[in-house]
Amino acid sequence: MNDERRSVSISGSGSLGGGEYARVVISGSGRVDGELVAEELRISGSGKISGRTEIGQISVSGSGVFGDEVIAEEMRISGSARVDGPVQAKELKCSGSFRAGGDISGDYVKISGSLRVSGDVEADIFKASGGFGIDGLLSADKVEIHLGGRCSAREVGGEKICVERIGSLGGALLSGLVKMFTGGGAAELRTTQVEGDEIHLECTVADVVRGKRVEIGPGCRIASVEYTETLKVHDDATVERQQKV
Amino acid sequence: MDEERLISKKEVLEKMGISYGQLYRWKRKGLIPEVWFIRRSTFTGQETFFPRDKILERIGRIKDMKDEHPLDDLAELITTRVNAKLNVALARLARVGWLDEDLLRTCCVDRAPGDAVSIWEAFVLGVLSRLRRTARDEEIDLVRRTLTGKRGNGLLERVSENGLNLYLLRKRVASGGISAQISLVALAEGRAVFDPEIEVVETVDLPTVLQRIKLDLADGEESTTGGESSPGEREASAGGDGGPGHPREREVEP
Repeated sequence: MNDERRSVSISGSGSLGGGEYARVVISGSGRVDGELVAEELRISGSGKISGRTEIGQISVSGSGVFGDEVIAEEMRISGSARVDGPVQAKELKCSGSFRAGGDISGDYVKISGSLRVSGDVEADIFKASGGFGIDGLLSADKVEIHLGGRCSAREVGGEKICVERIGSLGGALLSGLVKMFTGGGAAELRTTQVEGDEIHLECTVADVVRGKRVEIGPGCRIASVEYTETLKVHDDATVERQQKV
Repeated sequence: MDEERLISKKEVLEKMGISYGQLYRWKRKGLIPEVWFIRRSTFTGQETFFPRDKILERIGRIKDMKDEHPLDDLAELITTRVNAKLNVALARLARVGWLDEDLLRTCCVDRAPGDAVSIWEAFVLGVLSRLRRTARDEEIDLVRRTLTGKRGNGLLERVSENGLNLYLLRKRVASGGISAQISLVALAEGRAVFDPEIEVVETVDLPTVLQRIKLDLADGEESTTGGESSPGEREASAGGDGGPGHPREREVEP
């Protein structure tokens, strides 16, 4: 590759042909027509990339729209972003609102705003403190959910799965903030099944929970729990059926 | 064809002594194909089932190999995911015993033994070798042109684990005292059904061939995939050849 990749900055309104760049900054309103390969992409105004993107670091603090697949080392969203294809990011942090039309895969995914995914979310570590809606499977070695709003996933699977209500202190502020994004709603997780080795749940509504060591905490309504080692059920939880297998 | 025998996720975990965490991790890393996860409603709620033989064989292999290879490399070795840029020295290919030598010679006349061929070319050779016994020369050529011609573009990606099959077909057409036989080549995901007058000469399960080639090539000292393989692994891989899940496939083994 040549080392003389250009850096481009759009600060008024403009558009850019796709290609390879060092750094692309959109601070006004900008459009990239075609595929974008760059070391860095910053959108602080409004930006749209029509083709697939392969980028080292993406930061969106305004509004960003990606018309196709996104591959990134690091993706930070503090404004709003929409990706119409799959997202592959080593590190994905979202404190704004994020919509993905395909699967999301990464090493580390942290959501403190709102997330809406039409496919699966797969990561080594998944942390959420906002609200999310995942149409497919949520899978990670470590799933840590601090319920800050309505959360849903078709299925949840992994090694350690922990779902907790946000503590009362900083939580009120955060959940208030989150409600602004998610449009309110009870802070709970709804899913058809949770499978993991160590499971701790609060305020979760599920059909089946399967695991090795399972703890069903307050506010849960679970139709069936299957466990292989231990099961603890809180007084404020409903478990219709439980079975040691 | 009858439905394959299924096994529940619970049974897989118990039988193979693995955890939910491992199973989900391997799925994420692409070691267990998405299509093997079959969701069914049972009286205890949703449950996931797998094609029994395939999943047990695959997990056994992952367990055997996971200590020597990082998980991410393992996917390259175990699954049919292929790095299209991977090249193989012709000489190495010749050492993979089950490739037809005549074929190697005729297909690569203009190349020296040290030259490299792409993994795709190697794969095509593998497919042709499997057809060698039953197909006529012109049919072999037809298959070759199907796979390498324009219509074969992007096939490498499509030879996924979805069971892309190559069919070599013959049909006799008779009319007015003249009869002719025509040969056809078709590629289809899953099991295709043909009209009763078509004779299915050969069915080749493409993912199996690809995997076989990759494992045979990955094995040995000059591994091009970066991962060094141990001799113990060869046995692990050889056990899976052909795959008990494809009883219909005719084995054209040396």
